[in-house]
Amino acid sequence: MGSTRSPRRSRARTAAVVATAALVLLGTAGCSADSEWGRIGYPEPATEQGSTLLTFWQNSWIAAFAVGVLTWGLIIWAIVAYRKRANEGAPLQTRYNMPLEILYTVAPAIMIAALFAVTARDQADLTKLTPDTKNTIGVVGFKWNWGFNYTLDDAFESGTQNKPAELWLPVDERVRFQLTSPDVIHSFWVPQFLFKMDVVPGRQNQFELTPNKIGVFAGKCAELCGTYHSQMLFSVHVVSRADYDAHIAALKAAGQTGQLQTGRIVTTGVAS
Amino acid sequence: MTLLSDRPVEFGPDPDGMTTTDPARRKFGKTLVKWVTSTDHKVIGYMYLITTFVFFLFGGVMALIIRAELAQPHLQFVSQEQYNQLFTMHGSIMLLLFATPLFAGFANVIMPLQIGSPDVAFPRLNMFAFWLFFFGGLIVCFGFLTPGGAASFGWFAYSPLSNAINSPNIGSDLWILGFTIGGLGSILGAVNFITTIFCMRAPGMTMFRMSIFTWNVLLTSILVLMAFPVLAAAFVVLEADRKFGTQVFDAANGGAILWQHLFWFFGHPEVYILALPFFGIASEIIPVFSRKPIFGYKGLVFATISIAALSVAVWAHHMYVTGAVNLPFFAFMTMLIAVPTGVKFFNWIGTMWRGSVSFETPMLWTLGFLVTFLFGGLTGILLSAPPVDFQVSDSYFVVAHFHYVVFGTVVFMMFAGYYFWWPKWTGKMLDERLGKIHFWLLFVGFHTTFLVQHWLGAEGMPRRYADYLPSDGFTTLNVVSTIGSAILALSMLPFLYNVYITARRAPKVEVDDPWGWGCSLEWATSCPPPRHNFTSIPPIRSERPAFDLNHPDLVDLATQKRSRVLDTLVSAEKGSDS
Repeated sequence: MGSTRSPRRSRARTAAVVATAALVLLGTAGCSADSEWGRIGYPEPATEQGSTLLTFWQNSWIAAFAVGVLTWGLIIWAIVAYRKRANEGAPLQTRYNMPLEILYTVAPAIMIAALFAVTARDQADLTKLTPDTKNTIGVVGFKWNWGFNYTLDDAFESGTQNKPAELWLPVDERVRFQLTSPDVIHSFWVPQFLFKMDVVPGRQNQFELTPNKIGVFAGKCAELCGTYHSQMLFSVHVVSRADYDAHIAALKAAGQTGQLQTGRIVTTGVAS
Repeated sequence: MTLLSDRPVEFGPDPDGMTTTDPARRKFGKTLVKWVTSTDHKVIGYMYLITTFVFFLFGGVMALIIRAELAQPHLQFVSQEQYNQLFTMHGSIMLLLFATPLFAGFANVIMPLQIGSPDVAFPRLNMFAFWLFFFGGLIVCFGFLTPGGAASFGWFAYSPLSNAINSPNIGSDLWILGFTIGGLGSILGAVNFITTIFCMRAPGMTMFRMSIFTWNVLLTSILVLMAFPVLAAAFVVLEADRKFGTQVFDAANGGAILWQHLFWFFGHPEVYILALPFFGIASEIIPVFSRKPIFGYKGLVFATISIAALSVAVWAHHMYVTGAVNLPFFAFMTMLIAVPTGVKFFNWIGTMWRGSVSFETPMLWTLGFLVTFLFGGLTGILLSAPPVDFQVSDSYFVVAHFHYVVFGTVVFMMFAGYYFWWPKWTGKMLDERLGKIHFWLLFVGFHTTFLVQHWLGAEGMPRRYADYLPSDGFTTLNVVSTIGSAILALSMLPFLYNVYITARRAPKVEVDDPWGWGCSLEWATSCPPPRHNFTSIPPIRSERPAFDLNHPDLVDLATQKRSRVLDTLVSAEKGSDS
């Protein structure tokens, strides 16, 4: 520490401490975990798995902001504290500092190891397939809307751009989605499920979720699939078991029995 | 090795016996002929820089139309298909006709100067590479003039969307083949840079005395050699599928995923091909305006080598939601990149630490890069975790992330490099005041445009949507983003005016090093340098030969003593040989 700079430095240090404290206070005050701010932009999760995904997102941001505030702080500190002053001579020509360099190589490596441990645990859980799932939905993405096969109930639904498809799901029951496409790649995304998976021609992808909130949720295609990509919308109706059965009965009464055909499938996704 | 004979600069009085009365026109014609026939690495470099800037403005205009369209729900200005063409061409032009050849531009102009070489190893190959890029780029853009319009399958051209059934227009063929040709230019350029760096360093310029920018040019070129041939091969096969009926990328053969693997095996190293040279520019500028040597030189070199090595092992993190890749492996490799990138950050900060930091335009742009790229890096670590991608991949969060990374690096450091080396190239300093107005307008415009897009993506706005619903609740933030893009566009005006007024009015730079604290060898020759760069080369005893020359009182004695002993040994050995 150069002695000539001490008074200025201690003032700068006080300012930095105050600014950091103010930021932390602002941060915590604005974010009860239930608000959109607290969820850092995520919509309210509508599945059991959603809470895992939301917590992962929030914790990652806390870690990222901690690293960010530290690094931005160091940058701003260097800008303010070491700015060139009038008639200043050349500074000491320091070239390296091995202990410091080892520290800032090892410390991020440890943080990454922690992040990877959490990632590996959560993603294994999120991509797990269970053998005894009662409900299986065949999702068919095509140019440019969606078809849904209620596989076990032998009923289906198909949408158009003007009349987007509706997917009905019973609440609190684990559902397996089997994704197929007869034409190009699409991606099945319900933002409030906090989950998407690509719908790849020639391949059957699978994942499972448990919707746990009754309501209607918007669904979108998330992979560019041609001219009317942005019109490839659908809606998900999560309802009680009774309402679900009634809807299936209505589909059958309307003659929508059987299954939509999908493209040829050469590979099937399994849990990784 | 190519013989580097001097070319006649003037053609003599009226070589063809034609008489033109207007001397200004004659001068223009002469310059034009001189430039298009030039094999001078500096002139070829300038042609790269000018051409890429034109493509940058063209891609920017497309971005403005995209932003205008997205400001409100429903379609106002373009059709769905035109919108798809716009983002496809915006992305591919910015990446492959602006950012990648911009690397070739900076590398061409600066790298031979930094290693004390009179030119590159293969001047004519260099010229050929430029013209491949130039005409390849034009072929891509000509897609707009065809009846079916330009390519509209996104810059990663996913099969089967890019096949003859789903994208039958000729614009798609022009896109594929134009980039194949341009990619060949990049490959040849990389061969040239690697050979130059290995074979044409001045005496005393050991590998570990090369400036960081030169190191990064070397590593970038190696990455180009690994990535671009894969892309070129994939493009040629795609075109064979389209025109000759081969079935390589047929979805029924698993071709949809095969294309993604090939494309991203190119696509991810490509991100580092874009970033590394511009990290190198930051490593050149920060020491000069902190009046200190780069902190942890060797650590920085090894960090760059690790980034380059890791970058070819992470491609499938672009494919987390395909359900077809091993998530833990690619997540782990991706997260690892954070370590060497962090090292770079701390080396840059360490260079400023206890320095004497001043804020001329090049440094201002570099600091803008540091704070911007840091945020892109942090969101990048978030994206390395598949549980985050399940929600935000293919959303505006990703759009925001890669603009923070790529724009934050390439555009900020391009302007930093322009302000820094302008006097070296033209012999005139750009105006500082206009440069600062330029910076602040662009900085505010950029962050207003892209910060809010993180939020839009997390909320559920997919990328590549021409339209969204009023009920989605995306309107307000889209308006903010569009206003930001207008400010961003306006920031180009002070720069263009600056270039004009500097050429007209600025005084000639008389010294070798107008910044006063230049480190690398280009600051030890005149502004602009002579045809073969140096009339004499100072002794090279550290990675800062120009600094050692101009500030002998500050020379690090410990380093110098050792290298002097080595030099004495070497010359003694040579003496005994003869």
